[in-house]
Amino acid sequence: MLTFIGLGLWNERSVTVEGREALRVADRVFAEFYTSRLAGTTVEALEAHHGADIEVRDRAGVEQDPSAILDAAEDGEIAFCTAGDTMISTTHVDLRVRAAERSIDTRVIHGVTAQSAASSLTGLQNYRFGKAVTLPFEYAHGAEGTPQSVIDGIEANRERGLHTLVYLDIKVAGSSPAGPAEGESDEYMTADHAAAALARDWDEDAVGVAVARAGSPEPVVAADALGVLGEREFGEPLHMLVIPGELHHLEAEALATLAGCPRDVLPSFE
Amino acid sequence: MGRRKKIVQECEELMDEPEQIRNIAIAAHVDHGKTTLTDNLLAGAGMIADADEATQLVMDTEEDEQERGITIDAANVSMTHEYEDENHLINLIDTPGHVDFGGDVTRAMRAVDGALVVVDAVEGAMPQTETVVRQALREGVKPALFINKVDRLISELQEGPEEMQQRLQDVIADVNELIRGMTEEMDDIEEDWTVSVEEGTVGFGSALYKWGVSLPSMQRTGMSFGDIIELEQDHKRQELHERTPLSDVVLDMVAEHFPNPLKAQPFRVPRIWRGDDESDIAEDMRTVNRDGDIVFMATDIGMDPHAGEIVTGRVFSGTLEKGQELYVSGTAGKNRVQSVGIYMGGEREELDRGVPAGNVAAVTGLKDAIAGSTVSDKEMTPFESIEHISEPVITKSVEAKSMDDLPKLIKTLQQVAKEDPTIRVEINEDTGEHLISGQGELHLEVITQRIQKNQGIPVQTGEPIVVYREQPQEASREVEGVSPNRHNKFYITVEPMADDIVETIQRGEASMSMPELERREALQDAGMDKDTSQNVEHIHGTNILIDDTKGIQHLNETMELVIEGLEEALDDGPLAAEPVQGALLRLHDARLHEDTIHRGPAQVIPAVRDAVHRALIDGEVRLLEPIQDVRIDVPSEHMGNASGEIQGRRGRVDDMYQEGDLMVIEGIAPVEEMIGFSSDIRSATEGRASWNTENAGFRVLVDNLQREKIMEIRERKGMKLELPQSIDYI
Repeated sequence: MLTFIGLGLWNERSVTVEGREALRVADRVFAEFYTSRLAGTTVEALEAHHGADIEVRDRAGVEQDPSAILDAAEDGEIAFCTAGDTMISTTHVDLRVRAAERSIDTRVIHGVTAQSAASSLTGLQNYRFGKAVTLPFEYAHGAEGTPQSVIDGIEANRERGLHTLVYLDIKVAGSSPAGPAEGESDEYMTADHAAAALARDWDEDAVGVAVARAGSPEPVVAADALGVLGEREFGEPLHMLVIPGELHHLEAEALATLAGCPRDVLPSFE
Repeated sequence: MGRRKKIVQECEELMDEPEQIRNIAIAAHVDHGKTTLTDNLLAGAGMIADADEATQLVMDTEEDEQERGITIDAANVSMTHEYEDENHLINLIDTPGHVDFGGDVTRAMRAVDGALVVVDAVEGAMPQTETVVRQALREGVKPALFINKVDRLISELQEGPEEMQQRLQDVIADVNELIRGMTEEMDDIEEDWTVSVEEGTVGFGSALYKWGVSLPSMQRTGMSFGDIIELEQDHKRQELHERTPLSDVVLDMVAEHFPNPLKAQPFRVPRIWRGDDESDIAEDMRTVNRDGDIVFMATDIGMDPHAGEIVTGRVFSGTLEKGQELYVSGTAGKNRVQSVGIYMGGEREELDRGVPAGNVAAVTGLKDAIAGSTVSDKEMTPFESIEHISEPVITKSVEAKSMDDLPKLIKTLQQVAKEDPTIRVEINEDTGEHLISGQGELHLEVITQRIQKNQGIPVQTGEPIVVYREQPQEASREVEGVSPNRHNKFYITVEPMADDIVETIQRGEASMSMPELERREALQDAGMDKDTSQNVEHIHGTNILIDDTKGIQHLNETMELVIEGLEEALDDGPLAAEPVQGALLRLHDARLHEDTIHRGPAQVIPAVRDAVHRALIDGEVRLLEPIQDVRIDVPSEHMGNASGEIQGRRGRVDDMYQEGDLMVIEGIAPVEEMIGFSSDIRSATEGRASWNTENAGFRVLVDNLQREKIMEIRERKGMKLELPQSIDYI
């Protein structure tokens, strides 16, 4: 049995009760933190809290060589964990398909994901989000500046009046094809960095909503023109950015009241 | 005023008169007498003392050159010459003749407008003669011919006037055949560039005894061919020299027949520069405008113990002056010019007034420049890279004997690569075992000696290793490459590319830096079909990627990564991690994930790399080894032994024929087997053979040696000693 467990957004306590119980009974626990991580805790604290040894796999250990996980799942209770939800932006459906191909039973225990936080913290309605995009680091996608597909994605959503959730790039040290550089540490793109990039390559007057440390006791939510957001700082990771489309009047009210958005930058606010 | 100072002053005055400037190179087969000829010219121009100067070899400045008696790097000098009451400034570059140093010749040609081709009257046109003539014509440099060592025809071979005339006519005909063949395809050259005695573009003489004649000189001095034969036969060479000095004959020919920069730059610039021909910079270069934007092409980098790095090159526009801040193509930021000057013999003469357009200049301070850089005051399209067809074929490892010398050795190796782009250097800081690759054994030997002697770094070198290539032998089926996350797929085929297209790329006639339309035409001329030529996405080495996909969303964003994966796969081929050549790759289709992160470098690069390797294997990729054309001139009694030396080296004898009293053997042999040939042929023929080799590209290694050789290379490189299972055909 292979159980996919979403660990939620912030620390060792963000997991659901069902997830916690599944972790306790698992024979072996695997996890990956290259797609996202729990910013409010460490692997050691997770292990201590759940009383389990966690085997952290790198990208190659999940994508290229998943056999260690699958072999174990053939005759044991195996848990595979990620931050957030295992299937939303981390796309581990491939692993689940491979397991099914080997006739291994699988089960998914959901976790709170960035996508739901993006709705609940900003007040932007879940019904009105279009497709999500990821903004990669400038150096990481093989071309200059902001990829056109990111801008196209935002614009296509806005044409239909929809909001866009912009995931921000994470570079885990040593994950580049060239191997770890000396003194390399993990890098997380910040919301101000992303806002500045979009202001430069797309539209500095468009409104953006920065969300920092979703799931923590003190998340920061701030809405303003992208050009202005790009000048601010939002503290520790992880961050994300939302680009609103047309605003429902209650959405606009929420951005002004809950996210401190100056009213003059909200076009459809009456 | 000293003589030297007076010449400098004359040069300075002439620099501003482009009509009176000639930029020339002297090029020839090894040992045909270039350097001796050059020294004659210098003496004639009053640059060196007249006493015994011909054996002094001023141009061969590096110690090892004088020891070996051959020129290794191109050297430079400026001189003045009066012709028809007008003084001329002649900027001369002497070039090496040994085939291993062909890169220097090509670079020198970029700086000049005329090439004096020197041919030994006894040996006639030799393989390297052909190569230098080609190198000159490809750069749009006009040739003239000097037939040297005519004294030997008279005194040693005792030839009469008719035999001699026949022999000289044969040499001229050989050279002209080459020129005609090359210039026929060159639309931009309207004049007839073949050489002829009647026109005065051919001279004869003896650089050793310092006499020379041409038809115009005979008319002027009233000397007939008979007079010359008589004087030479009587060994009255001093008289011959005084009555018809070589330097006058040659320098008159240079002044009369080589184009000045005003005439040359309008047709040379379009040949070597692909920028906008309507721009101001193009106009400045065409008109040799000394007040225009600065455009300087670096053709050579040298080291001076005091001044540091000296960049030599041609000023195409503007005036180079001390203190200027200039861009160097391919690097960010600017370099500050510390000094500008010209060459006087082996030394530089700094000129505070600067060096204007149309001249050859020596510059210090351009620390980022390499041989081939474009240096300018505004950012501009750089000159076409200086293509030298021969790729390195031999590699040697170099290690510092003492660990303390390691940093110095790395710096020196980097410098070596900067000075000579035909050298490739791979620095391995982990093992300390660095690799240098070059054109031949001698090339590498000279380089390592220079490191030892000039830099005082004792080094240990490994055995020379041959450089191999990998190439597919047939068209592959379509191969699917899947990214590690399985969200992206690429469909790729590979096929061997036609030789004509490979050559077109090697000659630099089709590259990604040229306008698309021009590239398309060049590829079509080489035989590529129209649709394929329109879809060329990338050229790497002599491999081409064709994008045959239609309307795939996000592919344009992903292409850079596809290319990265492709280059990795081609740099380290599937058999023995040797470079792949002559492969035509087609991307037929791709499936991409919606989101950038899920089709990032960690996904796309391995997917493409893997697909390319599997396609190459399906296309029966084989190991190729470098081969050389070999020519041996040997007395007939040693012919059997000499041809045995070729055949015993997995070689093939293609032709044997009599030339004069010698037998000529022509054939080919693998470079690997030719290591050590020099001493073997000497002992096989009692030292009576003269021989030379020229790199002739790569050839598929015979089947029964494939596996053995691949394993040998894999072992050397520390790779796994088993081949992928799919390689079942080797």
